[in-house]
Amino acid sequence: MRATKRFAFAAAVLVVAVVALAIEVLFPASPVTEVIRIVDTGYLASAVRLSVPIAFAALGGIFAEKSGVINIGLEGLLIVGAFTGVAVSYWLRGGEAVAVMPGVVLVLVCVLALLLVLAFLGLLGSGVRKIGTRVGGGLLATVGLVGLTVVLTDASQSATWLSFYVAVLMSVALSLLFAGVTIEYRADQVIAGLAVWLIALGAAPFASNVIWGTVNSTSVPTLDGWTVPLLSNVPVLGEILFDSDPTVFMLLLATPLSWYVLRRTSFGYWVRASGENPKALDTAGVDVRRVRYAAVLISGLFSGIGGASLSLGQVGQFIGSGSTMVAGRGWIGITAYLFGNYNPLGAFGASLLFASLEALQIRLQQLGYGLPPSLVQTIPYITVIVVLALVGRTRIPEAAGEHYDSGED
Amino acid sequence: MNTDWLPDSVAKLLGRLVDASAGERLAVSVAAVVASVLLGGVVTFVSGLFAECATPTFGPSCYNPLSVYYYLFLSPLTSSFSLSIMAEQTSLLLFTGLAVAVSFRAGLFNIGTQGQLVLGGLAAALTAVALGPVLPDGAIGGAIIATVAMLAGAIVGGLFAAIPGALKAYFDANEVITTIMLNFVAADVAFFLVSTYFQKPGSGSIETRDVPEAATFSPVVALLMGLVLVAATTYLLWGTSFGYDLRTAGLQTEAAEYAGVDAKRMVVASMTLSGAIGGAGGAVWVLMAVGRWVTGVPPLGFDGITVSVLASNNPLGVLLAGPLFGTMSAGSLSIDFQLGVPRQLVGVIRGLVILFVAMPEFFRMLGARWGLGGGVQ
Repeated sequence: MRATKRFAFAAAVLVVAVVALAIEVLFPASPVTEVIRIVDTGYLASAVRLSVPIAFAALGGIFAEKSGVINIGLEGLLIVGAFTGVAVSYWLRGGEAVAVMPGVVLVLVCVLALLLVLAFLGLLGSGVRKIGTRVGGGLLATVGLVGLTVVLTDASQSATWLSFYVAVLMSVALSLLFAGVTIEYRADQVIAGLAVWLIALGAAPFASNVIWGTVNSTSVPTLDGWTVPLLSNVPVLGEILFDSDPTVFMLLLATPLSWYVLRRTSFGYWVRASGENPKALDTAGVDVRRVRYAAVLISGLFSGIGGASLSLGQVGQFIGSGSTMVAGRGWIGITAYLFGNYNPLGAFGASLLFASLEALQIRLQQLGYGLPPSLVQTIPYITVIVVLALVGRTRIPEAAGEHYDSGED
Repeated sequence: MNTDWLPDSVAKLLGRLVDASAGERLAVSVAAVVASVLLGGVVTFVSGLFAECATPTFGPSCYNPLSVYYYLFLSPLTSSFSLSIMAEQTSLLLFTGLAVAVSFRAGLFNIGTQGQLVLGGLAAALTAVALGPVLPDGAIGGAIIATVAMLAGAIVGGLFAAIPGALKAYFDANEVITTIMLNFVAADVAFFLVSTYFQKPGSGSIETRDVPEAATFSPVVALLMGLVLVAATTYLLWGTSFGYDLRTAGLQTEAAEYAGVDAKRMVVASMTLSGAIGGAGGAVWVLMAVGRWVTGVPPLGFDGITVSVLASNNPLGVLLAGPLFGTMSAGSLSIDFQLGVPRQLVGVIRGLVILFVAMPEFFRMLGARWGLGGGVQ
């Protein structure tokens, strides 16, 4: 029944697209055609860009919820990612020239701190040797990534990329706090998730005020776009997908990768088992606690990328007034994965749908048509509500929302 | 009934009076506030290291946590002006805290109190402005206008909350997300309505005309209304069969249905009630605090979540948590003016409080480690 509804909705979207195309071809002079012409490659490219924060939040949310921890704080993680990226970038540009070295040090310090906390929580295994290898490996990988960044890009872009990494790490840190609170201290997942959101909603404008004296930041450069040789020459698709923001490429990589990891790897199997039947997983000798930590940290990682892609990838500023520049994208991300029935590919499609409405909203405002902008702005939000009503009850993982106690201690 | 008054039975009686779990919850709430405030102090100190100022006031930091505490918690009590702001904030938080508490009690996460308050407030402002010329001046006319405006706010807030309620009951749409989405919709729709149809002529900001002077009331009156509402909500939840059904539905939906409660209607009813209280809160905001509806409504609905969570969703707890956050809200203005510490600090503390209340286990473990209390499990 639910599958039918979902299918019907997808079919309806398709029919609208086909009808629109038909009208454009058959009646090129009609006023309706003018509206339909909004949908050009530029529009689709911006829809794909706008889908990045939503889709990354959704992908992260899938991992967490599949493992049995409902992470309702995605919105907060996006806010933290968006803010931290701009703050660090601003800090690195504070002097005469762009400072790259302090950025490198900051990234390494953050990684080291995170790894030490993980080791302290017993998540990196037991035994000095094992922990040492993992911490060393993590640091080495970071050095590799940071080194590559500094070598491949100029000083300004390096600084922006390093800020991007710190933003992701801060989001991971906040998700670690959330994981600790829910897994170690059995906090109610919904309330703790609301807390993560509200903390970020308070802290980001607070810190903006401390740094810039207002809730909005000054402008910082954005990440340069990437153009894939050859593929970008493909008509339509090339312009939309292969001549775009780096974060779009990350999303195009992360979506199938998430699907593969969840469906085809043993880690993915553990994540699903940890959410459906933790007892059985425990009996099979897999540490449910570690699996859940890993899944929540992945949601922090993805949301961090999503948040930073919004501020550093697209806008080049942090806006902290009202609901901040994130403006509900984390909540929309949750709806996207519910609509996509916890399937990363489906969640990506749903994110694209919501983002295309956002792009439509922006385009309609630019074109005018005498439509009141404040009403046009509500289109994506109302669509989310309609979609939620259409989707109805989703079959959430059996043990989601529940604390699991292995009974060992 | 036991007749010999031995200390033992006194203890038993006390034990029954002070419901053990209620006592434990109170302890957790107090601990959560203390922990959040202390952590907020650390946040203040650390952010002061990054702020720019002529001379650091607290070691290397530009912000002095101790003065921040003073201005947040004590200074609002020292002047009549800040006392009135505190009463104003407290009364509003009583309304929003109760609105959230009613829905949480029913097992529904109504995060949309903010939107319900925005639209309820707008309805109240428009009603009061429209009724102004019709009714006679003076106390009686003013009281009628205020009453009708409050009712309008409650009705609009209730109807707006009934939407996510019905979507939850009949379509299983997650109410957390729908109410948050409706917060955005409410802000946009209110902005549209006021800017297009009800704009105050000659004003630079988006706002309605002023409500009649006679319909406005003082923070003390609002505070009294809040107290009456606390009593009424307590009675409703624990003294009526509707309240019993509401609470049962929140605790155990199946059990409630087995007992003959129409769970779907209960969901809609409790959301509507919650929204009506939130909408009335919006009316109070308009009539008491601003005298008109203006964009940029303060996040009273979100603060209401903290108040309710801190109060274990208990109306009597709201009576304690409301003034606490009311004081902090009033004090947040002074830390901004007097110390240059951004007033959004209160927002950080708000989130921390919820986080700490959500993890009673943390305090239980701390207590066990320090050898306090017998609450170890």
